[in-house]
Amino acid sequence: MSGVTPPKGEISRIVIAGGGTAGWLSACTIAARARTDGRDLSVTLVEAPDIPTIGVGEGTWPTMRGTLATIGIAEEEFLLACDASFKQGSRFDGWRDGSAGDSYLHPFTAPPAGSLAPMLSAWNAMGSFASAMTPQADACAADLAPRQRTMPGYAGALNYGYHLDAGKFAALLKRHATGRLGVTHIADRITGVEPDEGGNIKGLHLSSHPMLEGNLFLDCTGMRALLIDGHCGAGFIDRSQVLSNDRALAMQVPVEAGSAIASQTIGTAHEAGWLWDIALPARRGIGCVFSSAHMDETRAADVLRAHVAKAVPGADIDALEPRLLRFASGHRDSFWKGNCLAVGLSAGFVEPLEASAIVMIELSLTMLMDNFPQSRATMPVHARRFDALFRQRWDRIVDFLKLHYALSQRTEPYWRDHVSSVPDTLSDMLALWREQPPAADDFPLANEVFPAASWQYVLYGMGHDLPAHLPPAASDPLADVRERARRMTAALPTNRAYQDALRQAAPIPAGANR
Amino acid sequence: MTSHAILDSNTHRDLRVASDPSADMGDGVMSCITFPDEFRRVQGEFPILFRMDAARENFHALAMFGFEQGENLFLDNGKWDAAYRPLALSIQPFLIGRNPDGEGPGQVHVDMEHPRANAAEGTRVFDEDGRPTPYLEGIAEQLGAVDQGYRGQDAFFAALKRHELLEPFTLEITLADGAKNNLVGFHIIDEAKLQALDGEAVAELHAEGHLMPIFMALASLSQIGELVARKNRREGHI
Repeated sequence: MSGVTPPKGEISRIVIAGGGTAGWLSACTIAARARTDGRDLSVTLVEAPDIPTIGVGEGTWPTMRGTLATIGIAEEEFLLACDASFKQGSRFDGWRDGSAGDSYLHPFTAPPAGSLAPMLSAWNAMGSFASAMTPQADACAADLAPRQRTMPGYAGALNYGYHLDAGKFAALLKRHATGRLGVTHIADRITGVEPDEGGNIKGLHLSSHPMLEGNLFLDCTGMRALLIDGHCGAGFIDRSQVLSNDRALAMQVPVEAGSAIASQTIGTAHEAGWLWDIALPARRGIGCVFSSAHMDETRAADVLRAHVAKAVPGADIDALEPRLLRFASGHRDSFWKGNCLAVGLSAGFVEPLEASAIVMIELSLTMLMDNFPQSRATMPVHARRFDALFRQRWDRIVDFLKLHYALSQRTEPYWRDHVSSVPDTLSDMLALWREQPPAADDFPLANEVFPAASWQYVLYGMGHDLPAHLPPAASDPLADVRERARRMTAALPTNRAYQDALRQAAPIPAGANR
Repeated sequence: MTSHAILDSNTHRDLRVASDPSADMGDGVMSCITFPDEFRRVQGEFPILFRMDAARENFHALAMFGFEQGENLFLDNGKWDAAYRPLALSIQPFLIGRNPDGEGPGQVHVDMEHPRANAAEGTRVFDEDGRPTPYLEGIAEQLGAVDQGYRGQDAFFAALKRHELLEPFTLEITLADGAKNNLVGFHIIDEAKLQALDGEAVAELHAEGHLMPIFMALASLSQIGELVARKNRREGHI
């Protein structure tokens, strides 16, 4: 390098390797934020035409509403194009001891504002914690939508995210990115990585296109982790000693027209793992997560079929062939190396117990765009800060998922193994929570993945004892919750009525070519 | 076509009622019935005019929303563009029913043929256990007020007749573009006769509680100018 060099370190060409939810959500977010933030960025996404996407991440957090609004997709278009329905939380059946009626809800709407301790006094473990703390429990129990169609898009009477068809979601984002946000799409296979003299990525070799050069590369190649692992050699931190599940059998079950659509993901515990049940307007995604050390595939398939037969009356079980997914719970030791950032499954994966996959994509993109590297010089600083924050976030996710298992009284070996492998970080918190309820002070990170309310719902949902010393009861907020529950359950439509009316008002699917 | 039925928590357990303002739901009307007890709330937004019924026997009061059949200038793309919604509209599709002898407490009836009834996305009347929802509690309160209001209005109109306080009223309105609209066949309070009443008559009207609604009806006439302005805006004349 000699003579006049161009202004150094301009980061203007963003290359995204891989499509799927992570790739296209990255493309949309970066292109849309570049416009609003006034950055001149070009975004190119290269995606192999013949590699299928995994399509397991079918539940979102409420953050998705803000993400879609930022990207510029109307809620109605999103709902129709992705066969999406509203998700208001997760229900856990059979996790405490597996007895009849063993069920609790982790809703998205937080308990009433203010200190939880006086409200705990008022609740005093009488009935369901979630029902005492938010009208959302009543809405979920009655399969109600969290909003009325006349409300402005992305507004709700209760906090909510979505259940969606991941394949259709990626397709919508792709249409939006290429058609409205100026993202360039190349359908080709990546055959190699060209390094620059400093070891960063200069460009990607493609099988039938010239080398694709860029300044910042996002690895959205899923579990293959083509760039962050294959080229950058980031290590992998295995979390399977804490989260032992490593297999899933997934199937999609069609539902009858007019059948009720559940307002929450349902996670049902079984002898060596749990089953998910995600309701969309036309189908339910049902899967069996298990630990291969505790259960073989044949047994898991039996558990899955038995559950489907019970949960979806009339389902033609013999016609449904489950698909096996293998995974290892864990994440990279570094997510950002040189000019390569891993987003999505390439960064890490844990069992889909609390739908953390898509929210981690959103959080990664928010961090990237809120702190966008403008020069090569600052890139290592950004990388170190990103790594530090996301290592903490993964730690938190692992602890939070483990909380679901740590208090279980179930007796099967799988569950006893879970209880005996609680990490110290979680044990410490559980020790504190014998004396005081989970509070914001326990979660000091900016933008915690799971706020204190989430820990409260799971802790008391699992039947954890109340602290021995509590302040005098504050019953007014809980009476107010009851009154609001009465009003809301009267005014909110069922999910099915909402979906039917939505389709009636827009007879042409928004995703169809017109 | 109407089909009135006594509201009951078994038959109507899952009934949902559309409560949003909408022309499709029967709100596309130029007026609705009001009564003296409601004049105070109505006069801040709408002109109150009186009309004789078809048999030319009784008068009733109307809150005016427009100048021709089906025109409601307060209905704007599914929004009710006024701070108050008269009870006669807000109670729909409910009404008060009574025993054939007309005595005893009123019952909540529902018109199941009304477009507001049986709305899949509407508000529930009973919860899943058959208890009234807060919405129905509110409706019952409003129906009670309407019932009481209608029953009390005979004395009001008798007093107006006794003192000859109603005069015929015809209004021809010329819009900004020169088009004319007419309001024909209405009555208003005769202000001159009201002014000329002696102290004894005024005291009697006051003692019976009629004086306040008389002045409220009179004051409401200042809303006619606002109604014309709405009409001009709706027609794009500003």
